[in-house]
Amino acid sequence: MRRLAVTFVLFSLMVISTTSCTGVRQINQLAIVAAVGLDLGEKPGTIRLSAQIIRPADARGQTGAPSGGTGQPIYSVSAEGKTIFEAIRNLGRFTSRRVYWAHNFLIVMHEDYARKGINDMVDFFTRNHELRMSTWVAVTPNRPDEVIATITGLEVVPGEAVDRLFSNNHIVGQAPASNMMNLEETHLNATTQSLLARLQLVPRGISNKKPEEHGSIKQVELAGSAAFHDDKMVGWLTTKETRGVLFFLERLDNGIEVVSCPEGDEKISLEFHNARLKVEPFYRQSKPQFNITLKTDADIVESGCNSTLTGKKHEITQKLEQQLKQRVESAVDKAKQYHTDILKLGEIFHNKYPQEWRTLGPRWDTIFSELEPTIQVKASIKSTVVKVMGTKVK
Amino acid sequence: MTNKIYISQGMLVAMIVNIIYVKAIGVTQGTLARAVGQDMWIATLLGILQGAVMIYATYLVVRAMPERDFIGIGEALLGRWFGILIALIFIVFFIAAFGPVMITFVYHLKDYFLPEAPLWMFIVAALLVGSLGCFYGLEVMGRIALVGMAFIFMLNLLITIGSTHEFDIRNLLPVFESGVKRTAAASLHYDADCALAIMLAALVLPIVKDVGKKGSRAAVMGIVVSGISVIMWAILESAVLSADVTSQYTVSCMKLARNAHIGDFLQRYEMIMIALYSLSALFQVMFCIYGTAEGAARLFGLKNNKWTIIPSSIVLGFFGYWVIEDHFRAIDYLEHYWPFIAVPIAFGMPLLMLGLSIMVGKKPDVSAAASK
Repeated sequence: MRRLAVTFVLFSLMVISTTSCTGVRQINQLAIVAAVGLDLGEKPGTIRLSAQIIRPADARGQTGAPSGGTGQPIYSVSAEGKTIFEAIRNLGRFTSRRVYWAHNFLIVMHEDYARKGINDMVDFFTRNHELRMSTWVAVTPNRPDEVIATITGLEVVPGEAVDRLFSNNHIVGQAPASNMMNLEETHLNATTQSLLARLQLVPRGISNKKPEEHGSIKQVELAGSAAFHDDKMVGWLTTKETRGVLFFLERLDNGIEVVSCPEGDEKISLEFHNARLKVEPFYRQSKPQFNITLKTDADIVESGCNSTLTGKKHEITQKLEQQLKQRVESAVDKAKQYHTDILKLGEIFHNKYPQEWRTLGPRWDTIFSELEPTIQVKASIKSTVVKVMGTKVK
Repeated sequence: MTNKIYISQGMLVAMIVNIIYVKAIGVTQGTLARAVGQDMWIATLLGILQGAVMIYATYLVVRAMPERDFIGIGEALLGRWFGILIALIFIVFFIAAFGPVMITFVYHLKDYFLPEAPLWMFIVAALLVGSLGCFYGLEVMGRIALVGMAFIFMLNLLITIGSTHEFDIRNLLPVFESGVKRTAAASLHYDADCALAIMLAALVLPIVKDVGKKGSRAAVMGIVVSGISVIMWAILESAVLSADVTSQYTVSCMKLARNAHIGDFLQRYEMIMIALYSLSALFQVMFCIYGTAEGAARLFGLKNNKWTIIPSSIVLGFFGYWVIEDHFRAIDYLEHYWPFIAVPIAFGMPLLMLGLSIMVGKKPDVSAAASK
């Protein structure tokens, strides 16, 4: 009987202490953030934080059709503060609900903010337990609050649309899939520097009501990248340079390259696939050296040539190799120009030559900018898809 | 010790795995990453080897008198005062161990899920569940450990599936960059985790079935199985997160769980992780209460530990609260005090007892062990 009483008391105490009521937040009390913009504030030394908050009543369904709501699927607001945390707290002055970060898709920073340094941003968004590490991170030359409020693609919520852009980014292969996970890793790494995707507004949308006004609707474009040194942005990389970097960072294995026909100015589209980049470090005469080899297969997926391609395979292959080599070279050159090892070459050298690294490591930025790596590209055109070779010419 | 209950060898293996795993996969790996960077998995491996040797030494001590635990053996070797001293050492050890156990338990829950909940709530909830388990005894705790071990395997499987796409083997290189000496010294932190298992074995081995014949295999197997389960995390944290990122976090396994995802649908494993490892975390709490209560009962010459469970829980609760109330104090205690309390006690005691057995001349009573 006594045992039963003790068990009952213990269970009762457990039930009271484990009801999970402490700190409870109901979903209708939350302002669910889908995208965040960061910019320099109007007052010197301040930060402007913009948040795109989902309006659940208007964001439901495929089209966001209103049913007693406002018809606006998102509610965008901004606030300023001396730190990100303070800016967020200041948001609370006018958002009726508590800001909730766990479903944030995107953090987009203005170029000026990124050039000033992102230590605070990396720390805040990794220290905050609510944020998921798969949140995409990008830099924009436009106003971040405008970028996060621009509805692009087919999605109702702009943050979700950019999330889809990033998710399908490997198809285009012209911007890094930069998220908090890999940003934190490169940010903390002593050698490798960060590379973030570039988002910008482009007038590409066509109004269904006024199709003659081509480009009257702004869309968010994911193309190119921003290179960092330590915590500061040092410059932009074009889409072509970024593609070169992606071979190093994301093992980009397929994409489209357009080369000119063997005869004439017409173009051929080549889809490369199974691309594999190998970086071999060497240490000779007290200097680090690198052999970079890119091997890929390719298919001819479109030909606008006026002559048959029979017997031209070797020539087209050479053009593809030349073009891919240019991509890799331009990536290396731009990284060297910025004195920033976004290609992880230092890490590769460090792994193979840990002893030598002890002396080279502290001077790596200088050494990196003087590197002359050997770049070789070996392409092999394997297929012309469903056709035998080229379009028959009359 | 005149306990009539017996636990299976599988339960012993499960108890060892449970008592090591929870802290070792996160809190210890963060400490190791701060100490030796990407060599954290090597330090863990060295710790596993040392732990296996020391638990075998513990078995050798118990094999000599398979009906007695360490307190009983101490009494048999040098008399009652020595038994009391050993009981006192057990009490001190498990009170000291409750600090890291609570760091693991509370910081997982409070920092990631319930930042607004008061600290005392976690302590009270853990102690209530722990006391209840302890009240029902080692057999119940052994069964809980078996279920906990199944959960651990599930968690390891899930985290592996959710992390392999981010796996970068280059993050594990170069090996021994911190030097062999420093890596070996860092293994002390994993030794501190093994210390819990050694002290558990010192109390539990006498009630394991067939301890004389197969006790050593079960004990060493426990260290090896827990080692495999833990080293997976060490490798994943280093390769997926990188040592730089791992070193930034108090509970680095939660960071890995936060990063893991299977496709776009199953993201953020924190809650899955908490669900699957909660039994192991509570088992740690239970055994700390058991160790303290058992030591106290023997110190005061009580027949069983039922009357010492509540006082022990209160003492543990106050100490645990004091440690975790301040993060700085918690990390300082974890990295600079706990290993230097745990390892000398858990590694020193079996060696001392083994030496005394040889000197006093107590020979292994294999027939008694075999008859169990």
